[in-house]
Amino acid sequence: MTGSLLIQSLILGVLLGGLYALLAAGLTLYFGVMRVVMIAHSAFLILAAYLAWFASSTLGIDPLLTLVVTVPLFFGIGVLMQRLLIRRLRPATLTMMSVLLTFAIALFIEGLIGFVWGGTQRRIQLPYSSASIEIFGARIAVVKLIAFGLAALSLLVLYLLMKHTRFGQALRATIQHPEAAQLVGIRTDRVAGLGFGLGLATAALGGTALSLDATIYPSLHWHWIGPLMAIIVVGGLGSIPGAAIAALVLGVGQSLLQVPLGTTWAQTIFYVALFVTLMVRPQGFFGGRLAQRF
Amino acid sequence: MPNASSTLATRSRGPAQTPADGARRSRRNRQIASALALVVGVAVVAVFPFAAPDAYVLSAGVVILSYACTATSWNFMGGFTGYISLGHAAYFGLGAYGTGIIVRDLGLPSFLAWALAGLAVAIITIPVGIAALRVRGASFVIVSIAFVLILLLVFQAWGSFTGGSSGLVVPRPFPDLMRPEHHRVFFYLFAALLAVMLTLWWAISRSRFGIGLKAIREDEDKAEALGIPTRNYKLVAYVVSATLTGLAGGMYALWFGDLDPIFQFSILLGSYMVLMALLGGIRNLFGPLVGAVIVGVALEIFKLEFGDTQFHLVATGLLLALVVLFMPDGIIPAVQAGLRRFGPQSSSIREMTAAELAERNAAAGVSGDSVFSGGPTPTPTPEEKR
Repeated sequence: MTGSLLIQSLILGVLLGGLYALLAAGLTLYFGVMRVVMIAHSAFLILAAYLAWFASSTLGIDPLLTLVVTVPLFFGIGVLMQRLLIRRLRPATLTMMSVLLTFAIALFIEGLIGFVWGGTQRRIQLPYSSASIEIFGARIAVVKLIAFGLAALSLLVLYLLMKHTRFGQALRATIQHPEAAQLVGIRTDRVAGLGFGLGLATAALGGTALSLDATIYPSLHWHWIGPLMAIIVVGGLGSIPGAAIAALVLGVGQSLLQVPLGTTWAQTIFYVALFVTLMVRPQGFFGGRLAQRF
Repeated sequence: MPNASSTLATRSRGPAQTPADGARRSRRNRQIASALALVVGVAVVAVFPFAAPDAYVLSAGVVILSYACTATSWNFMGGFTGYISLGHAAYFGLGAYGTGIIVRDLGLPSFLAWALAGLAVAIITIPVGIAALRVRGASFVIVSIAFVLILLLVFQAWGSFTGGSSGLVVPRPFPDLMRPEHHRVFFYLFAALLAVMLTLWWAISRSRFGIGLKAIREDEDKAEALGIPTRNYKLVAYVVSATLTGLAGGMYALWFGDLDPIFQFSILLGSYMVLMALLGGIRNLFGPLVGAVIVGVALEIFKLEFGDTQFHLVATGLLLALVVLFMPDGIIPAVQAGLRRFGPQSSSIREMTAAELAERNAAAGVSGDSVFSGGPTPTPTPEEKR
């Protein structure tokens, strides 16, 4: 492997890892607030990508502008989903049944996308699609940088929201100990709904970023949910920093392995990491007490 | 259902028990009804291949029976322990590919290859099960899905061994049979496999092992505290479930004759198993079978009506969501509860007045002030106990 190739795959890995980090943060947020494994997360991701593609190909709008619509829309869908669907499940079997319910939602969305836009592969054509810049002798496409920038910015906003606002405090309290949070006067139900909306908003952001330089098709979400779930288990369920770190490490690992092994085999790194984590440290490498039982 | 009458007989030894007699009669009626349903079911399965109007309906019947086999074998894990695996398609695919590859490379007779593939699935499942069962709930589901995805990747990428995306052709076990006869033979083979699975499930559900598994489902910590070796029990249940799924997959490979990783290692197939079992009722012996018949027929109708569109995904998703939200216990318990409402109220506390009770106790020689001892306590039906 030559030096520039190494640097190139390293940079591509970091860029990919940024996107993984944002999406995994959303996924682990649902788990934190509701103990729900949201299989439909990546289906919403692909839905956002399709909406961006639709806006750009038929209306001629820049895909980034669709964020103005999709982020609030997805936030609202997330709140409604928690209010109307997830909360109806029995607490005793919540974790298992929520997996099935969100799985059903994923199937529904995949079928709907295929029904409305057909099963063919789609790709956004932008004036700056083929532009690239050179960093340390490695050529990096501009759209990848934009996608990474979007993901990094959103993660930063999420971090500031969680750390420095009253709502973020309430959210973290709900994640850490719902009963205690209720005792100090936090309306955990409401906070959980908003947290759910926040998680789904990350799917809207990630989907738009993804649509900039990926070919999309309805069943693509299965290729995303596997790695994302592996990331949140490796990072420790419910831990957002853990998810971000695991996402970066595994993203870089995948990118580096792609050169000698090819795309398909490189993807197995996520599953290898998942199985190693379960054998060595089932609660995840960065997770705390929360992950123990789930 | 069995064992209900035996409980009752030991509970109420006293004389003069007209109300209990009524309860016993209704229970006997129910036993007769379920025996009758069993006979009718067997008769339908036996007659169907000859009553089917054409080869298409016959092949649909085989598909539905194969669904019933997978859903029933899924239920060895999902029903007993409550661990919901969305990735059982992995074992289906492993069994199918194992059978195909053994026939292709070793040239063994088809059904020997089938049995060997089942054994191979069991051996592969042990380490996977150990890893997956270290965690509960959500993580278990994640691992089960991840295992299907990883196998899909491997079987697609390793084209030289598995045939890759161009598929693997499995030689037919009966090369000189015409197509309808081929379907007919496999219909009975699947039915036999299903019968074996149902018998095994029934036997386990009545055994000490089965009771331990159900204890894990209800409360794993308490089960462990009571001295149940939860890890080993779960592992055995998982391996049995996976192996049976693999056997169903191998049978499917021999019947269908053409394997593609996309269809064998498909998350959709795993979700069908869960949907069927949940729809019928995972606590019930025949639940997965009932669910498989309903979902299987619905899927065939959808394919006929809507062809190759993605609409069947929407329908599957909606159905699964409705079942999870409104009928998580399944159809069979819901129907039973509905029937019980019309039948005699056998477990009602009003079935014996205080005067009757005093009279009975006097006859049995119990002193008057302990009227509440030894009354026919409302014994829960076996369905409720499970």
